[in-house]
Amino acid sequence: MKKNLRLSLVPYLFLIPYLFAFIAFRFGPSIAGFFVSLTKWNIIGTPKFIGFENYSELFSDPSFITSLVNTLYFMALTVPALIVLGLLIALLVDQDLKGRTATRTFVFMPYVIMSTVVGVIWMWIFDTHFGILNYYLSFLGIKPIAWLSSVNWAMPAVAITTIWWTVGFNMILFLAGLQDIPEELKEAARIDGASNWQIFWNVTFPLLRPTTVVVLMLTLINSFEVFDQVYVMTGGGPSMATLTVIQYMYFQAFQYFRLGYGSAVAYVVFAFLIILVLVERQLLKKVGEA
Amino acid sequence: MKRKNKYLTKTILYLLLIACTIFAFAPVLWMTVSAFKPEGEIASYPPTWIPAHPTMSNFSYVLETFNFLRWTLNSSLSAIIATIIVILIDSLAAFSFARFHFKGNALLYATVLSMLMVPIQVTIIPLYLMFAHVHLLNTITALILPTTGNVTGVFILRNFFRSVPQDLIDAARIDGASYLRIWWTIMLPIARPSISAVAIITFISNWTNFLWPLVSVNSDASRTLPVGIAEFFGGQSGVSGSAPQYGPAMAAALMATLPAIVIFLLLQRYFVKGITMTGIKG
Repeated sequence: MKKNLRLSLVPYLFLIPYLFAFIAFRFGPSIAGFFVSLTKWNIIGTPKFIGFENYSELFSDPSFITSLVNTLYFMALTVPALIVLGLLIALLVDQDLKGRTATRTFVFMPYVIMSTVVGVIWMWIFDTHFGILNYYLSFLGIKPIAWLSSVNWAMPAVAITTIWWTVGFNMILFLAGLQDIPEELKEAARIDGASNWQIFWNVTFPLLRPTTVVVLMLTLINSFEVFDQVYVMTGGGPSMATLTVIQYMYFQAFQYFRLGYGSAVAYVVFAFLIILVLVERQLLKKVGEA
Repeated sequence: MKRKNKYLTKTILYLLLIACTIFAFAPVLWMTVSAFKPEGEIASYPPTWIPAHPTMSNFSYVLETFNFLRWTLNSSLSAIIATIIVILIDSLAAFSFARFHFKGNALLYATVLSMLMVPIQVTIIPLYLMFAHVHLLNTITALILPTTGNVTGVFILRNFFRSVPQDLIDAARIDGASYLRIWWTIMLPIARPSISAVAIITFISNWTNFLWPLVSVNSDASRTLPVGIAEFFGGQSGVSGSAPQYGPAMAAALMATLPAIVIFLLLQRYFVKGITMTGIKG
């Protein structure tokens, strides 16, 4: 009897340390954030419950709308490029070529560099007067571009930086997916006289679908949450051209100390991500049926 | 004809391979080259890929002017301690989730996994309030604790522990080993590849974490490397637009990057494993 009781306690005892950390630092704050978003809470003074006022204010806040539009623009610039390039590079380094493992290593390497360092490196590359990029572009007859200080070029510059930084991550995921595809299937298609292109389109690509779904989802989420690079490279400028939603949350909560309002921004981001994931699923289902 | 075609394809593929490598590596190389250029040379036009008068002055300037070593120490310390805690508590919990039948197992595990859907940014403001309340802002503790509530570690290890044969556990039980002992002497050692993956993911995510350290620490004594770099070499620091300042900035960038690249080159296999495990199966 005693032994049984002890046995039944063991699994709970093993869970306690982790569950404590999980509830205190992940689950609890995630829920608490919602309640903070229902208050007017300036760092000094007591919070005041105001219902959904923060949310209604948000959607008539032009700066917030700007940050949302900017974030979607950033996604449009990075997500397709990251998916297509990630897949193409994975296909390339999956070929039987000498030096392919070295290329894999080099392409993935930027991903282990911390985001803020990546930002600083590319600030130097994008420098208007002394930057190496404008120097090489001058050979093509292109006049110096004020990459980070012009409204039109700041976001593309941040996007290029992000693509360089994270394309290796997608490559690794696609590569793992490619290597899971049994060689026999491609071999069988080849014997039947299929061209390389047909093999890719009819064998490889459909079998890579689950990988593609995951990579797309991760890339969408990460792009939506962009913050570090923008914080370092442009600070959201010039004139809010690169202000993103997470950055807006940061500004509201930790520069203007409007914690309730900042939390509302965070929860809108959360809601958007859920919608994004649901839409992606729905679209893929349709494509799958067609 | 067909043969010629094949050579052409091969050549194109090799050119693409080289192009990818150059695109990926050139910025890293440019950072390295710039870090060794003296003040007068960094702004010289046209830019050169080999410094005419290589110097260490940028490095000594960074080390003398900023608390760079302190930031590095803070980053390393918080990442190492967080990783150790995560491995211990996550593996214990994963063992429990994977191998025991108890009331609430499925529900608890589903709750844990559900947090994969909730962006971490949602937790920042409540965490800030919480740590402010207990006066732990500006401490290394604040940098460590939030990492310990992670989900991926439990997820990876639970999946692994489920594949361990029951006979192994039964045999140890017959020999009189406690479950705690089984966890320590059997489960942890055989899970080494998975644990390495979890360790690397945890270490890197803590080492490169930016938003939370930016928010929770504003004293130089507890500042981490990513935040120090952003605050003193980022666009708001006055570096941008003045080329001479980029020398020290690149030196700092290189010093912050080198350890990560060395670790990556040594443990590449586990990096890839960690990514594919969290990416594909997540």
